[in-house]
Amino acid sequence: MAELGRAALILTFGLSVYALVVGGYAAWRGRRRLAQSARNALIASFFSTLVAALVLVVGFVRNDFSLAYVAGHSSRALPTPYKLSAFWGGQEGSLLLWLLVLNGYAAAAVWLARKRARDLVVWVTPVLGGIAVGFAWLLVVVSSPFDVIPAPADGSGLNPSLQNPYMVVHPVALYLGYVGLAVPFAFAMGALLSGRTDERWIVATRRWTIVAWTALGIGQLLGAHWAYVEVGWGGYYAWDPVENAALMPWLAATAFLHSVMIQEKRGMLRVWNVTLVSLAFCLSLFGTFLTRSGVVTSIHSFTKSSIGPWFLGFIVVAVVFAVGMIWLRLPQLRTTAKLESLVSREAAFLYNNLLLVALCLTILWGTAWPMVSEAVRGETMVVGRPYFDFFLRIFGLPLLLLMGIGPLIAWRRASLRGLTRTFAWPAAVALATGVGLIALGAGSSTPGLVAYTFSAFVLATIVHEFARGTAARRALTGEPVPTALGRLIGRNRRRYGGYVVHASIVLLAIGIAGSSAYDSVTEGRLARGQSLDVGGYSLTYRSLGEREGANATEVRALLDVRRGGKDLGTVKAGKNAYSVEQQVSNEVGIRTDYLTGEDLFVIAEQVNDDGTVFFRVFVKPLVNLIWLAGLVFLLGSVITLWPDAREERRLATRYASARERSDTPATT
Amino acid sequence: MIALSVAGVLAIFLLYTSLAGGGTPSVSPSELATKTGEVALAGRVVGTPTGDAHGAGLRFVLTDIHKPGHRVTVLYKGSVPDMFRPGRDLVVTGTKRADGVFVSKPGTMITKCPSKYQAADTSS
Repeated sequence: MAELGRAALILTFGLSVYALVVGGYAAWRGRRRLAQSARNALIASFFSTLVAALVLVVGFVRNDFSLAYVAGHSSRALPTPYKLSAFWGGQEGSLLLWLLVLNGYAAAAVWLARKRARDLVVWVTPVLGGIAVGFAWLLVVVSSPFDVIPAPADGSGLNPSLQNPYMVVHPVALYLGYVGLAVPFAFAMGALLSGRTDERWIVATRRWTIVAWTALGIGQLLGAHWAYVEVGWGGYYAWDPVENAALMPWLAATAFLHSVMIQEKRGMLRVWNVTLVSLAFCLSLFGTFLTRSGVVTSIHSFTKSSIGPWFLGFIVVAVVFAVGMIWLRLPQLRTTAKLESLVSREAAFLYNNLLLVALCLTILWGTAWPMVSEAVRGETMVVGRPYFDFFLRIFGLPLLLLMGIGPLIAWRRASLRGLTRTFAWPAAVALATGVGLIALGAGSSTPGLVAYTFSAFVLATIVHEFARGTAARRALTGEPVPTALGRLIGRNRRRYGGYVVHASIVLLAIGIAGSSAYDSVTEGRLARGQSLDVGGYSLTYRSLGEREGANATEVRALLDVRRGGKDLGTVKAGKNAYSVEQQVSNEVGIRTDYLTGEDLFVIAEQVNDDGTVFFRVFVKPLVNLIWLAGLVFLLGSVITLWPDAREERRLATRYASARERSDTPATT
Repeated sequence: MIALSVAGVLAIFLLYTSLAGGGTPSVSPSELATKTGEVALAGRVVGTPTGDAHGAGLRFVLTDIHKPGHRVTVLYKGSVPDMFRPGRDLVVTGTKRADGVFVSKPGTMITKCPSKYQAADTSS
């Protein structure tokens, strides 16, 4: 079996090289048949990668411990679902998943675009082939998942922290996101290579970008929820390099999704867009590098790791290639359209982009600073939470405000009268909310208060937009409200789906502000019968129980919860001691108030021999809005992604006219 | 206009970093001897920890991750992550006392997750 897997990977490598070399030659010399064969090689490489992946899956399912990778990440007792997720439990399997997802995206993207954007696909094929060559090389030569060893009686098992439903879904979602960004990048580079620098590459990849961006966002929220529920330190995001690794490309992709609209509508920002998509893709490579090369622990361990230097080289090649191509095509990318006013939709989008990129780059700086300072000064310096929190506030809060302004402000040049008409109502709502919140005592945290006021403003603009659109339809057609609303969204999926996504970001902001700016925490050692007060709750420690679970000894402390004299039942918190892995894990107790979105979060930090327990208890207002935001985010993305026949026709006409223009040999 | 905005963003960034400094130095136990002031100490736990993190303090010994030998005793109070046990790598922030004991700030212990940094783990 191992031979089959290895052969499939070598075949993938060969096909990728063919797509790169022959595809590049065919595109350069304009050989149509040859280009088609290169494209087919790229598609075929997906199937050969699939074979390799299936061999590894079969290895896991059949407990084939002669495969070193299976022996190192599985065991006979491991439940079957986790045998599948053990696939990406280590480095080699993760790389194979990367390549599989990449080739899947590549095959689908070039196949679906083969007719409509044929002259682009010719150049996209070698770019995607080039990326695949890099990963296939790592898998064939440096870090093979099919290394064979004399089979041990049993495998060494999967790390307990990965034996968890979140760790089955979360990595796949993240990889779908990271790798998906390769598609818009490849199309952008293809457009630059072909010398056709109009916005067709953007139109051809809009859906792919949104799919990748959605997956990356959902993957991160799943990770955050995992950290919150399972890791149990009382938070959901710690600015860990591994977390930042996914956040940075997401921010860059968010900026890209916004700025391409300006190019589509006004033909501006061409250089900026190819730069952003390159940034997003290179950051996703950098993210994989961060999590996989060990560079986070120290530069020393990085130079010892087998794939680290290769990966760094790969990133350098990608950056140099992207910068070189943009530099080369700079004359063709220049646009005539100029920004007419600093108060216009174009300008609002530009500010949005600057803030997103600024946030992204400051996070990059903070994440890379330990490595940079170690390399430059020989002394590792680390920046902590205050650094990241500061920049999240200073750039994030204006972004939140812009989310309300950008979609409503007029194109080109906004007039004062127009501004008053559009924003008077939302501004009044925001002001009233702010005053009301101060009266309620929310003034204890200025960033929190600002976040809430801005959130109210944005929500008011969104509600206003939906109401206005529905009313206009009703006036025109006389439809009942639900029909009018449904058709309104159906006819303008991109616009209203976008509003829904914006609403989800507002929910996220409210949740983050509520749980970080207005949380309360108390800790203390309690004997049985003693109580602890926190954020309006009163907890009484009742009893301590111990029982033997399947693979762990489970200790649980039982607490009575009361608020304002009302009995709210009990909550359990404790620890599991895993015998085989010799590891203790906190099992936190969470009591959710579904009406207010507030969580009572109990950690039994330390269970003492005399039966006393040291508790740490958080009250986190509105934290559940963060998870709700994930669902709303998904809904909004699905709305914008839903196939739209009218849009297809509009694009078809546009493609046709674009082809006519580009068929006249003038550009090259 | 764009240049102005970029300059503004850059100014905020530089202002912050110059006021807050370039972060905390991160050192290994063998490098600690030459350091004064607050540092992040990164090392591997050896021996048996004693004491109570929520009482008088937890005492344990850290050594260099890649070349064991130099040992530093750490006194720690506050939350102890699940992953804490002998053999694990962790970071604590604090200062060195005159008697050589490293006194950490409460609740600053961070363990390095072995699953996610697997490449580094297997190569060392």
